Amino acid sequence: MSLSTPLRQSNSEALSLAQQTTQYLQKHASTGTSIPIPFISYPESTEIWMMYEKLLLACLRTGDDKAAHLCLEKLIDRFGATNERVMGLRGLYQEAVAKDDAALGRILKEYNEVLAEDPVNTPVAKRRIALLQSLSRTTEAINALTELLESSPTDIEAWTELSDLYLSQSLFPQAVFCLEEVLLVAPSAWNIHARLGEILYISATSSSNETADSKTFAEAMRRFCRSVELCDDYLRGYYGLKLTTDRLLSALPNDSTITGQMVSTDNGELPMPSTTTVRKLNERATFKLAEITRDTTGKGLNYAEVVAAKALLDKSTQVRQR
Amino acid sequence: MADPMVQTIHRDPALFYWILFPISIVMVLTGVLRHYATILLQPTPKKLTLPALREQRALLHGINLRTNYSTISLPSFLSRKNTLVAGYKNGEFLKDPESRGKPAGNPMTDPAAMEGMMGMMKGNMAMMIPQTLIMGWINAFFAGFVIMKLPFPLTIRFKSMLQSGIATRDLDVRWVSSLSWYFLNLFGLQPVFIFILGNDNAASQMAQQMSQMNPGAAGAGGIFQPGQDPDKLFKSEAENLEVVEHEYILEGVEGRILGTAGML
Repeated sequence: MSLSTPLRQSNSEALSLAQQTTQYLQKHASTGTSIPIPFISYPESTEIWMMYEKLLLACLRTGDDKAAHLCLEKLIDRFGATNERVMGLRGLYQEAVAKDDAALGRILKEYNEVLAEDPVNTPVAKRRIALLQSLSRTTEAINALTELLESSPTDIEAWTELSDLYLSQSLFPQAVFCLEEVLLVAPSAWNIHARLGEILYISATSSSNETADSKTFAEAMRRFCRSVELCDDYLRGYYGLKLTTDRLLSALPNDSTITGQMVSTDNGELPMPSTTTVRKLNERATFKLAEITRDTTGKGLNYAEVVAAKALLDKSTQVRQR
Repeated sequence: MADPMVQTIHRDPALFYWILFPISIVMVLTGVLRHYATILLQPTPKKLTLPALREQRALLHGINLRTNYSTISLPSFLSRKNTLVAGYKNGEFLKDPESRGKPAGNPMTDPAAMEGMMGMMKGNMAMMIPQTLIMGWINAFFAGFVIMKLPFPLTIRFKSMLQSGIATRDLDVRWVSSLSWYFLNLFGLQPVFIFILGNDNAASQMAQQMSQMNPGAAGAGGIFQPGQDPDKLFKSEAENLEVVEHEYILEGVEGRILGTAGML
């Protein structure tokens, strides 16, 4: 049983984990209930409880509510119903088994009561925000998140969530700001660098201002560059790099005489990359994409991403042949 | 010394069963008991209030910005820096802005600091009391016994360590007195405790001393030591931020990528 984070599990992994639950519950039936005696009882460790949490999440994901309830009861027995984290998990379970919006509304009311009593209860605050989202009250969710971040501006989970919410509202500068905050805490997170590039790319494709666009494309390209610099063979990074360089090649003046001119502007903006550099980067990205997608077995790659990368490569070869 | 004469002392085997064994067993059992006593005595970590949390996180925010500024562009950095520096200087993030500028109170009157000290006291007590008791017990019953002979020779320097409680000059260093056996157990049982209680046990006094080195590091106090003025921390952090010279990690990243790929 791997201890990787539940968010990165694929569906099949979650399913296989959930199927082990009953077995696991039987095996550890006695932990935590009796007084620990050296050598005789199974030693209690943090991993066991982490595992319970993981099993709970996997069970909820696969719809095995009964087993999830058993896990939850175990956690409540051990840590008490007033433990913050357990409260959050219990809320998650309740949300999962809720039948309709009215039931969800009742849970929301419960969350509000808990938070009125104890405003520092972060897990419940986060559950409340997620619930607001699933009730599609996005504005309220954004407000609640900004409030949460006001008191704890180093919470990267909340920043990424807020970024996604802003993106769903097409508020690109705000989404970019949030991801920059994430990078301030985790400067080597290549996925965040790539995500930032993606947002910049989306914002550039959806606006109509041409000069600003190519600047944004250049910035997005640099973000993707950074992400593949931090992580070799990062499929998403190279995919984005190829997309942005394709765009830039069609936008930049197609003439190699002005290469290497470094016009550094006063306000700290980076100069536009030269056409040769962009072309080389494009070649590099194409090459790497082809290399990564050629043999995908056993690399743990996302199937959808591989298919998308192959489609992109096919498209570009078609264009070239024409 | 010229003569390698071997000293022989005829010991009653009962010494072995009635002194060596009991001392060892008692030491192990006290260690185990101390472990559970420390767990019971541990205070539940105190919850931070929202303003206190905000104060800490705001400072952390500044520190993060100062260390990882290179990941964001100059305009983004400047806007963040200006906001944070202004906030730090105005005391916006302080827990209680009214008490700003007042001298820090006596740590003895600060309930949070008192609690920390009480925790330390309890930990010390859990260590001191059993030690004093066992020491007294050994002194009262087993003082002055020679209970075992080490199977290897040692230099004269070890005499004070191995033969405390026996005032003889000429006794070979290999003989160990009961009191010394107690001390050896006290310091040398850590692997046994790890075997019985697991890695993070509180049985050994070594671990206790370690945790006393940095009190509050694991406690609820977080980055603020008791008695430290957060306003001053904010001010110094503001100064640190102001002198940061910005550079951007994305500058020349294309060249670096192509360079590693060998395409330049």
